[in-house]
Amino acid sequence: MISLTGKHATWAYIVARVKVMKRNLIPSDEYRKLLNMSFDEIIRYLEETAYKKEIDELAYKYSGPRLLDYALTLNLGRTYKKIQDVSFGLAKEIITEFLKRWDIWNLLTIIKGKMVGVSLEEIEESLVPVGSYTMDFWKSLIPKEIDEIIKTFEGTPYYEPLSKIGQVPLSEIDDELYKIYYSRIIAMRPSELALKLFVDFIKMEIDIKNIKTILRLKREDVSVDEIMKRVIPGGFELTTEECGKLAAMPWDELTKSLEGYWFGKGIEIADKDLSRIEIQFDKVWMKTVAKRASNYPISILPVLQYMILKKIEVDNLRILGWGKWNNIPKEEIETQLVIL
Amino acid sequence: MASTFKVQPTRMELIKLRRRIKMAKRGYELLKMKRDSLITEFRNLLEDAKRIMGTMAEKYEKAMQKLALAIAVDGIITVRSIALSRQCEPTFVMHRKNIMGVVVPVIKREEKIIKCCIEREYGVIGTTARIDEAVRAFEELVDSILEVAEIETTVRRLLEEIDRVKRRVNALEYRIIPGMEATAKFISFKLEEMDRENIIRLKKLKGKKAKRA
Repeated sequence: MISLTGKHATWAYIVARVKVMKRNLIPSDEYRKLLNMSFDEIIRYLEETAYKKEIDELAYKYSGPRLLDYALTLNLGRTYKKIQDVSFGLAKEIITEFLKRWDIWNLLTIIKGKMVGVSLEEIEESLVPVGSYTMDFWKSLIPKEIDEIIKTFEGTPYYEPLSKIGQVPLSEIDDELYKIYYSRIIAMRPSELALKLFVDFIKMEIDIKNIKTILRLKREDVSVDEIMKRVIPGGFELTTEECGKLAAMPWDELTKSLEGYWFGKGIEIADKDLSRIEIQFDKVWMKTVAKRASNYPISILPVLQYMILKKIEVDNLRILGWGKWNNIPKEEIETQLVIL
Repeated sequence: MASTFKVQPTRMELIKLRRRIKMAKRGYELLKMKRDSLITEFRNLLEDAKRIMGTMAEKYEKAMQKLALAIAVDGIITVRSIALSRQCEPTFVMHRKNIMGVVVPVIKREEKIIKCCIEREYGVIGTTARIDEAVRAFEELVDSILEVAEIETTVRRLLEEIDRVKRRVNALEYRIIPGMEATAKFISFKLEEMDRENIIRLKKLKGKKAKRA
């Protein structure tokens, strides 16, 4: 282990490692080229990038866009694991905390799979190799009964909502778990700048999540009370009260009032096609994070920015692969891509 | 001739046969009317069936596009995981309706198929609008499939009934009624023949009686 002394040196080391990894990201201009390629050409292109290892590794099991999808997810998982491994101290804690969202995802997937009664292999295939727990841990949970799985999480913050399984709808438990994830992070006392930057980063994500939730539920004329049940408290600009105000507004007024918030600048909401609007919000969020990361170049922000950029790259490649495979029009694929 | 018509050429038989011919003709007229009404009903239903099936095909296309988009953007793992949330299949009950003696099904949804976002089994925070759109498109498709199942069964049963009635009408028109009319003609011819024989026999007896006298 490289021994570094001083907080500044710690961040400098992690940021330097991430910067090197960042160089391997596919440049934005390449997406234009990839858009004009066929599915096979995209795979050939990826065989010359960092994804080659995962594609070769999974080629015996999957083919076509499934191979691409699973290879991309595996690569994302390994990249996050690598960042976790090279970091230490507070940085490692922050990254682990950030990745815990995938723990919720995997936990819910196993529980849902067990409830529906699908095969163990099918549940295993639906797990994401990312998070604070290892894949072996998740695999060990799959054969267990639901009660035993819940018991495994005794003593963790997830235990309380999990113990309600069977009494309340699973969707409520789903939302409750994510709320716990975010509330635990924003409850951290930012004694250090690194932590403050991380908490702000998460608060911004909460804003994006909340505005997406409000728009999704408003589109379906859900009551304000029901919307507010699904709002995550503690946003960057969107406080619970602000969310309440937005949720009570009619659609037109709501879309107009977004301009006043950091995430609403430059957002065009012409119709109720939320899948495109969600991408616009993601772009704004990413641009804001990039700007803040350039203001704090030796901090956790460049690391988090890289993690998000890597996720965006994986998402973009998946959109291209599946889009080409399913003959989705080029224009439609382009609107779904997040190119910064 | 007698071997073709296996009937006793009696006046009683002729009366019975004439009654049967009258009834067959009435039945034939009624069946013809039923056939025509069924065809009219079928034509009306056919237009609806075409429209509903067209809508289902459109909804299928839309649902597949939405699913493709959801898989493309959110990934197959995400979509598979969310699909696991669905814990029960859509349920429906079959009722019966009578269209001119043809029993056709009426499908009633036991639970709402097209649900609001918060009524579904997955959470809102961990999912995206694309998932909502794909799920909604498939809910609409399932609803449409039930509609198609109902109208398709109705159309098929009507067709079967039209075919059955048509066969009956044709049998009455070209076989049963002409056959019975021919038998009746044969009986009346036989009876006339017997009458003529009787008259000649009586005349001969009268002649013999006159010679003796």
